[in-house]
Amino acid sequence: MALLLIIIVPFIAFLSSLLVRKSLRALGCIVVCASIIEFAATLVVVASVLQNGTYNLNGYLSVDALGSVLMMILAFAGAMASWYSVSYLKIEMEKKIIGFSRVRQYFILLHLFILAMFFAIVTTDPIFMWIAIEATTLSTAFLISFYNKPSAIEAAWKYLIINSVGLLLGFFGTLLFLYPAQHTGFVGLISWQMLLSGTSAFNPFIAKTAFIFVLIGFGTKVGLVPMHTWLPDAHSKASAPISSLLSGVLLNVAFLAVLRFKAVVDLTVGKDFSGGLLIFFGLLSIVVAAFIIYIQKNYKRLLAYHSIEHMGIISLGFGFGGIGSFAALLHMVYHSLAKSSLFLSSGNILLKYSSTKMDNVKGMIKTLPVTSILFFVGFLAMAGVPPFGIFITEYSILSAGINGHPVVVIIALLSFALVFAGILRHVTVMIFGDSKEGIPRGEAGVWTVVPPIILVVVLIILSFFIPTAMQSLLHSAVINY
Amino acid sequence: MSYFTSQFLFFLETVLFLSVIFMHLAKKNFAVIFLYALQSFIVTFILFSSSLKEDSLLLMAVATATFFVKVVIAPCFFFGLMKKHRLQFSVSTYLNGPMTLIVLTLLTAFSYSHFFRPLTILSPYDGNALLLAVGMILISLFLIVNRKGVLSQMVGILSLENAIVSFAYITGLEASAGAQVGILFDILVWIVIATGFASMIYRHFGSLDSSAMQHLKEE
Repeated sequence: MALLLIIIVPFIAFLSSLLVRKSLRALGCIVVCASIIEFAATLVVVASVLQNGTYNLNGYLSVDALGSVLMMILAFAGAMASWYSVSYLKIEMEKKIIGFSRVRQYFILLHLFILAMFFAIVTTDPIFMWIAIEATTLSTAFLISFYNKPSAIEAAWKYLIINSVGLLLGFFGTLLFLYPAQHTGFVGLISWQMLLSGTSAFNPFIAKTAFIFVLIGFGTKVGLVPMHTWLPDAHSKASAPISSLLSGVLLNVAFLAVLRFKAVVDLTVGKDFSGGLLIFFGLLSIVVAAFIIYIQKNYKRLLAYHSIEHMGIISLGFGFGGIGSFAALLHMVYHSLAKSSLFLSSGNILLKYSSTKMDNVKGMIKTLPVTSILFFVGFLAMAGVPPFGIFITEYSILSAGINGHPVVVIIALLSFALVFAGILRHVTVMIFGDSKEGIPRGEAGVWTVVPPIILVVVLIILSFFIPTAMQSLLHSAVINY
Repeated sequence: MSYFTSQFLFFLETVLFLSVIFMHLAKKNFAVIFLYALQSFIVTFILFSSSLKEDSLLLMAVATATFFVKVVIAPCFFFGLMKKHRLQFSVSTYLNGPMTLIVLTLLTAFSYSHFFRPLTILSPYDGNALLLAVGMILISLFLIVNRKGVLSQMVGILSLENAIVSFAYITGLEASAGAQVGILFDILVWIVIATGFASMIYRHFGSLDSSAMQHLKEE
């Protein structure tokens, strides 16, 4: 029932938003209520997974430990982005940046986006997962071109084309993965479980080819270098709450697809093949992102490249395997919390300074005291500064690889240092530099700071204390990796 | 594996392959759309045959829906776009004609190379048709990359999808009817959204040439 609710609620919210004609309050009520119900239902599902290992619904929808971690991330970050959206868009309407019809369009597409992500996580069929991930592209294209500026439309077109090509290659790989099941004469729904149990009939060459296509395809959506080119543009042009969902949640959902196929290919040809590819793309993403972060001039693009770097770290962790996989999954959780908070904070900065260029944003500590603290804390966390949890996860990932891949670990470590230097250089000027005259002091509203505060508080708590239930969930989630 | 004889399947795959080659050579948008409609018609024909082989009414309904989406609706949208923005001009490419032909030759040779040949174990009797489908995938990708026009890029993506569907048919890796409906719905929505974006691009940039979009570089 709870799983059905998770799918039905965003759909009802989508339909309800379609019916709203003039009231922003009604749209706000719908999105807040939907997010609360989705979060509560997710808690029920996760509790059931903790108790029974999986939560099934008719064989078509199912959640395992890995899925439940992703569901928690989506439900929580989704709720924060939804709450923030109401206040943020109200202020943008008051400033005459957008009109009501655009706000309505925003909420309609937001519900579809969340629905598609939930469906991608809970479906048991790889083809339906592909359809859902493709649906996330379609639902977010207009959210990226939201402000209807030439640069936003260019970014959205780039996003649409690159992701469509990538996902079609992913689709090709997905079809190749169906080979063992279909050649044993099975007709009907092919589940992940069926793919895992049919690996003995899987030709190793086909398995390897299929995984390469899947990694390139879904890796495009994850933002792994060199398939990342859409990501900085899309994340910097979308509105702040959408950027937070794109970066904090969608990249992880696409990564989930890669992980599901990784488990199948590992059983067929061993872990070295997929591990090697993940290490290669992971390291490439870290190094490229580190250099671009250092020379970056736009804070939203900085955050986007930071996401590429962290997807690279997660990829590296799963490539190393063992404790690296556990750390990578935990890193995913921390990254989602911190990056969602940072993107929401970037929305506050944009509201205040009307610019995404770092040169135009100085002295935030005076003009936006709460946001600047959140921004600084978020960046420290993301840079892997102790005592934040990301320090532990990065340390564990590198430890997992030091024996087998010492050169990779050293290059990654040097890149982390470059990222740290780059971030410190940019963020200190933005926060502590001299502010320009004429910029009023104070936050735009209470509800533009509460969601990022909640995210940061949860991040800090989880950095010091991971509940036993969550530890058990994380351990179960990475058992195949 | 398939409903057709190996020779007939190879013939169909050759026509599909040639349709993408001619898309590269076509100088008018009209010709590109016509070739896409022809290509989609053949794919629909293949899907109909699959539904007959399986003796499935559901698959036949999916094939009919595919016909309407790919052979009727998509070309109508594209012709509408051409008419709306008077896109009668010649298509433009990054590589010139001779270079394009050289790349097409290399891609075809690559699809028949040792790199892809092991894929023929998926369908040993239709190996040549299968490798042509691989060639079609590569050449469709090249169409997306080489063309500057937004319309050609859209057709390139849909051609890539047709190539994958034909590959799936040859190898028997077709998705279930339910999944096919989902994929088709995705394609329909994609066509509507991409066409909407093309109109937005024309409004903002005064052209459907993707190389005219330089705002992100300038920032």
